[in-house]
Amino acid sequence: MTALVVRRLIWTIPVILLVIFLTFVLMRQIEGNPFRTSERAIPESIQRNLEEKYGLDRPWYVQYAKYVRGVFTGDLGPSLVLRNRDVNDIVREHFPVSLQLGGLAMLFALVVGIPLGMLSALRANTWFDYGAMFVSSVGFAIPSFLVATLLIYYFALQWGEYFPFPTSGWEGWESKVLPSIALGLGPMAYFARLTRGSMLETLQQDYIRTARAKGLRWRRVVVVHTLRNSLIPVVTAAGPILGFLITGSFIIEQIFAIPGIGRYYVTAVTGRDYSVVMGLTVLLALIVIVANLVVDILYGFLDPRTRDARA
Amino acid sequence: MTWTRSKGRVGLLVLAMLTLVLSLAACGGGDDDGGDEGAADGVITINWGAEPPSLDPGLATDTTSSNVILNIMDPLVKLEGEELTPTPSLAESWDVEGATVTFHLRDDGQWTNGDPVTAEDFEWSWKRTISPELAADYAYQFFGIKGAAEYNGCEENCDALRDQVAVEAVDDLTLRVELTSDQPWFIQQAAHHSFLAVHRPTVEQFGEKWTEAGNIVTNGPFQLARWEHNANLDLVKWADWRNADDVALERINGRMITEGTTAVQAFEAGEVDEVGALGGLPPEELPRLKGLPEYEQTPSLGTYYYGINTENIPDVNQRRAMSLAIDRRTIIDNIAQADQLPATGFTPSGMPGYDTITPSSEWLPESGDIERAKELMEQVQNPVTDVTLVINDAPGHRDIAVAVQSMWAELGIETEIQQQEWAQFLESLGPPPARSTDAYRLGWIGDFVDAINFLELWTCDSGNNNTNWCNEEYDSLVEQARGTADEGERFDLYSQLEEVMFGPDGEVPIMPIYFYTNVSLQRESIKETYNQNLLDQIDLSEVVEE
Repeated sequence: MTALVVRRLIWTIPVILLVIFLTFVLMRQIEGNPFRTSERAIPESIQRNLEEKYGLDRPWYVQYAKYVRGVFTGDLGPSLVLRNRDVNDIVREHFPVSLQLGGLAMLFALVVGIPLGMLSALRANTWFDYGAMFVSSVGFAIPSFLVATLLIYYFALQWGEYFPFPTSGWEGWESKVLPSIALGLGPMAYFARLTRGSMLETLQQDYIRTARAKGLRWRRVVVVHTLRNSLIPVVTAAGPILGFLITGSFIIEQIFAIPGIGRYYVTAVTGRDYSVVMGLTVLLALIVIVANLVVDILYGFLDPRTRDARA
Repeated sequence: MTWTRSKGRVGLLVLAMLTLVLSLAACGGGDDDGGDEGAADGVITINWGAEPPSLDPGLATDTTSSNVILNIMDPLVKLEGEELTPTPSLAESWDVEGATVTFHLRDDGQWTNGDPVTAEDFEWSWKRTISPELAADYAYQFFGIKGAAEYNGCEENCDALRDQVAVEAVDDLTLRVELTSDQPWFIQQAAHHSFLAVHRPTVEQFGEKWTEAGNIVTNGPFQLARWEHNANLDLVKWADWRNADDVALERINGRMITEGTTAVQAFEAGEVDEVGALGGLPPEELPRLKGLPEYEQTPSLGTYYYGINTENIPDVNQRRAMSLAIDRRTIIDNIAQADQLPATGFTPSGMPGYDTITPSSEWLPESGDIERAKELMEQVQNPVTDVTLVINDAPGHRDIAVAVQSMWAELGIETEIQQQEWAQFLESLGPPPARSTDAYRLGWIGDFVDAINFLELWTCDSGNNNTNWCNEEYDSLVEQARGTADEGERFDLYSQLEEVMFGPDGEVPIMPIYFYTNVSLQRESIKETYNQNLLDQIDLSEVVEE
């Protein structure tokens, strides 16, 4: 297990270098000027001063080398657009918010999705099953921005007096409920379907019949023998989904006015804030790598066979 | 065969898990202090609309930053009343002798740390903004001062050039400025946030972080109480400000809700007391919101226009025809919906001298004149019938472009609408504009209250002239206006400038569509005193909660 982790961590370095390189090249390929944010023209001398200040007047390989050195020494550079802030500030202040939002959404998805799928499988082809699968189809199909708008409209405005939820913001637990549900609904539906399918398959297995036949308590059969084995596809999916929830919450952050990192990411791309785009891309790449690593480790616990095969 | 035990347990399980999710969400409290409806405790919650990119007067360029800054800092000159008349603020008076302007500062100006505000503060701050090291976008606001452009553009000998910038603190309370020419609007311009002083020891101590809530030292009616980036920016009254007795509000809680629909919902839920003034209201909601008693609408100093690449469409009759075909009334009533005023020229209404300046152009009819447009179009030798119209990809602009597309279709013009993302759009505008661009949409919001700020856009070498249109007569009239101190004479010159573009023989390089308005929702308890001026500024020190 340790060998696996170490090997994977070493692999991270070339992956990050590649990510930096590709982002660097792609960002410079698109038109645009980070210093021109409004329709107002910038006199030449001012444009020159800005380029000099941020090193954009140097050859690309110098900029690239400087950037790579910065990343590996933990300095992601200044924002070109938010003039009083650097990328490290942005990550430090806003990444925890996105992490919390993504984590809560994931928690909602798992805590509701897995039991829902489990119960549907145990009562396959009953009204509960049909109902749950209908709900999860709908949850999966409706885009999160619509869910968000509907949640705000009903739970914060229309029935606002019965619920403690504000329309927006990220202060106090009340404000965190609606965004987490809006973001987690899709994955919740996905987990429910995944768990149901996988569980139905496991229930057909011989060892379940054996467990039943030797007189084990039903609860034990379901929890220890069925659920554990059924969760492998869920865990496989959970890694990338967690990465997606943490990094892909831009729309939810925008609608609920949440000070997360997703909003910075998108505005940085449209504003050509090169250093913010680079810094956040590196960060997000790291998250995806870590999430996948965690999944691989979890595999080991759920299925000892993979542990031996990989060590 | 059924594998379940009791049905009641399922519901309990789900409920228990939901409770778990909710309780896990409960990290970090925070009291809900928004929307104290009814209670006049001097605390209001507003929506800033967006995170201010910078609270450094030298670096800020946008309306939100400017609104925060002008409420926490004390300008030399303040613009008051509907006409935005320059009024003494930190400067108790000023003398203008040709190109020399002398400000006399009050002796009770004070920084929040107790230091007095001096003329040296201004000299140092202005030179800091002009300096190439700060690389400020708005350094050009100072280019009317002798030596400023040279210092900003310096490659070597920068220190010597710095000393030649003609801003000088004669003594603690006297600031003398020498301009490159007579600039009658300079006093107006000095009310702009770029011309504020910053507290030198604070800037030097904290560097780029001096504007953070714990660090910043200010000298205006309010202090920065809290700034959580992209979430909250709160101001509190500064009790030691020289006019603190006249300031009614104790605290302004500021949110940063960028999504228009959410902002309106936050207002309707009673969480905020004002939305829209800085960030707008969603046009599709306006018909409904207009009926509310909290709805407020004020004119803004800005013009929404379509520009033409005159190299691609050189025939003036075609440009006139295209402008005549645009039904401004329909666009305002059905798309923009904020009761904007149909444009009568480029200088917006509300500008001092507007009645003299505006050409009330026959080429800009309120409801279009399609018959005349067709007649003119027939006179065009080589009409351009395939027009590429470039816009930035925002829903409002697209809807207007689609309307214009159908209006131009009646002239036999086939319009291709090209939507571009903002940064790319700006690049393709130039100047000079991309060859493939025949027409584009844009708007201009005034920096200061003088029509020169609008009309100098269209000189040959202006960085904002994206039309390829160049007229020597126009350029020399602008030059003449720049040196004319007398208002009446200057307004006449401005009127001649408008005539060159939109008079009976006007060349119509651009097609103004409407003059902007600001729309907002304001709780009735503050509506009376919560006023946004023509330059989109809100003076919170004058707001009284009833």
